[in-house]
Amino acid sequence: MSEPIIRIRDLTRHYEMGTETVQALRGVSLDIGRNEYLAIMGPSGSGKSTMMNMIGCLDTPTGGEYWLNGQEVSQLSDDQLARVRNKEIGFVFQTFNLLPRATSLHNVELPLVYAGVSSRERRSRASAALGRVGLGNRMDHRPNELSGGQRQRVAIARALVNEPSILLADEPTGNLDSTTSEEIMQVFAELHRQGQTIIMVTHEADIAAHADRTVVLRDGKVETDRATHGVAA
Amino acid sequence: MNVARALEGVGIALDSIRSNKVRAGLTILGVAIGVMVVIAMASAITGVNRSITAMLESAGPKTFFVQRFFQGGLNISDGSDELSPWRKNPWITVEDAELVHQLPLVQDVSVSEGTEGPVSYEDISLKGVLIAGFGPSWVLVTGGEIVSGRTFTSAEYAAGAHVAVVNDKLAESLFPRGVDPVGKRIRVFGQPFTIVGVHVEAASLFGGGDQVRMAMPHTTFVKVADYRKGWMDFSVLPVASATSLEAQEEVISALRAKRGLKPMQENNFAVLSQDKILDSFNNITAGFFAVMVALSGVGLMVGGVGVVAIMMISVTERTREIGVRKALGATKREIMFQFLVEAATLTVVGGTIGLALGALIAVAIRSNTTIPASVPLWSVVVSLAASVVTGVLFGLYPAFRAARLDPVEALRFE
Repeated sequence: MSEPIIRIRDLTRHYEMGTETVQALRGVSLDIGRNEYLAIMGPSGSGKSTMMNMIGCLDTPTGGEYWLNGQEVSQLSDDQLARVRNKEIGFVFQTFNLLPRATSLHNVELPLVYAGVSSRERRSRASAALGRVGLGNRMDHRPNELSGGQRQRVAIARALVNEPSILLADEPTGNLDSTTSEEIMQVFAELHRQGQTIIMVTHEADIAAHADRTVVLRDGKVETDRATHGVAA
Repeated sequence: MNVARALEGVGIALDSIRSNKVRAGLTILGVAIGVMVVIAMASAITGVNRSITAMLESAGPKTFFVQRFFQGGLNISDGSDELSPWRKNPWITVEDAELVHQLPLVQDVSVSEGTEGPVSYEDISLKGVLIAGFGPSWVLVTGGEIVSGRTFTSAEYAAGAHVAVVNDKLAESLFPRGVDPVGKRIRVFGQPFTIVGVHVEAASLFGGGDQVRMAMPHTTFVKVADYRKGWMDFSVLPVASATSLEAQEEVISALRAKRGLKPMQENNFAVLSQDKILDSFNNITAGFFAVMVALSGVGLMVGGVGVVAIMMISVTERTREIGVRKALGATKREIMFQFLVEAATLTVVGGTIGLALGALIAVAIRSNTTIPASVPLWSVVVSLAASVVTGVLFGLYPAFRAARLDPVEALRFE
């Protein structure tokens, strides 16, 4: 494996809940290579949400190291983390999290706004990203004029538009029926084939089965880490 | 780049105003009222200012007035321990005016005295017509123009002739349309008069164009009019070679000498230059401005508190959106900026509404009174700036709250 895109060493995260200390992560080590398609699984309380927040630079660890694309990010300030999220990470959420009053195009442009891209370039890059997910003809629709699957595609286009190092998906099919879920998995498979690194947090085994590698967390530690065979594509 | 974000903030703010019309309306009401008050009052004061300037200009820039006391300002008890120091001042007399007229630096003097009285023509009789007695050069002093006929001559003045110049309103009241009033015989205070001319007043604050008025020689006025004596005054036009100030000094020393005032005694008459009239007017308007600033300050405060309330609600409602924006790379500063722009947009919308209402009031003043009210540019700039400042100032706390949100918590918010 070449230089990994993600390198995690002994990562811990404690939460103070009143007088009690909750240990969400108890020392996780993990390397993720470029162009890997990885699923993170685990029952609730296993620490997979915390793990996803760590990988997504939304939260900082209590201890350990996290190298993302050659940069140690575990000690960065809030604003430095915001920049890292903007450049390196494309989020796909279970509930899509689109801005309800904005068009598809505007939603996809948003990361570029924070990246300081000019409006002309924003527009062309955002429409290209929507084209990649097959929504080139839905650019002026608002989220409430789109189906669930289409909304999630808009969200994927938004995640891709900044050409991030990793696409980080949190239960991407959790709000979708099985047919639509399958469609979204096809989109992921296609992106993966084009070279996109994808990390997907899910509790559904059949969704995780689309990934090449599955990491299962339990009680804040890695329980198993094994290669799987992508069934899709 | 910042412009893009600012525009986005403006768009979001307009969206949220549109979707919460009542709430937003109540929020911006205070700002709107504050700005409306500023604009309306500034327009009115500008208009009054303009008409005073116009009135003074019509009298000629060097003309000044001699009165029994200074009745033009707030500071009339200046230098005295009595409430009505002018009571001690002797009347201004025709002899005073004639004396002043003889002075080398004085080109012309026009006396003026007025009252209300009855005027009739055949079977039409009017009460309460404003009747003035003037010197022959009165048109130069009061402004306006003779549109038909002529004014009275020096000879008629000297003779105390029964001739009258009516204004257009009085002519309309007495005569049917199409009848030329010149040459008609009317009765004033029961005495027969011949109309020699029709006068139209210059639009001015005091010359209220809709009142019925007439003028006659002052010499005639003192014979026929039933009036309260003691309130004559006169205007003085200096010769071309003298400044207004030089002529004023000459007039003051001549009147002091005539009245036998000792060097330590104050003048028992008032000489009003145009500068002094403007000064005293500015004193009054300064008072108005203070009240205006206080009123609009209260409006902006109320609006500002509303902004805090609506923005706190907005931040709470959009917690998840804030989380998403942070996940996509928005820094604290950018979130803060977005909400500040939103707050400022609210108040600017309020300010713009207030501006429009204030301008409407100015138009209403202009068309219903003689005050040529108009919205001065500075008041537009000041009120919009005040709106922005209010929005930013009162938006700071909600924006700070939004910027401080933890992205993980915000994304989890239902």
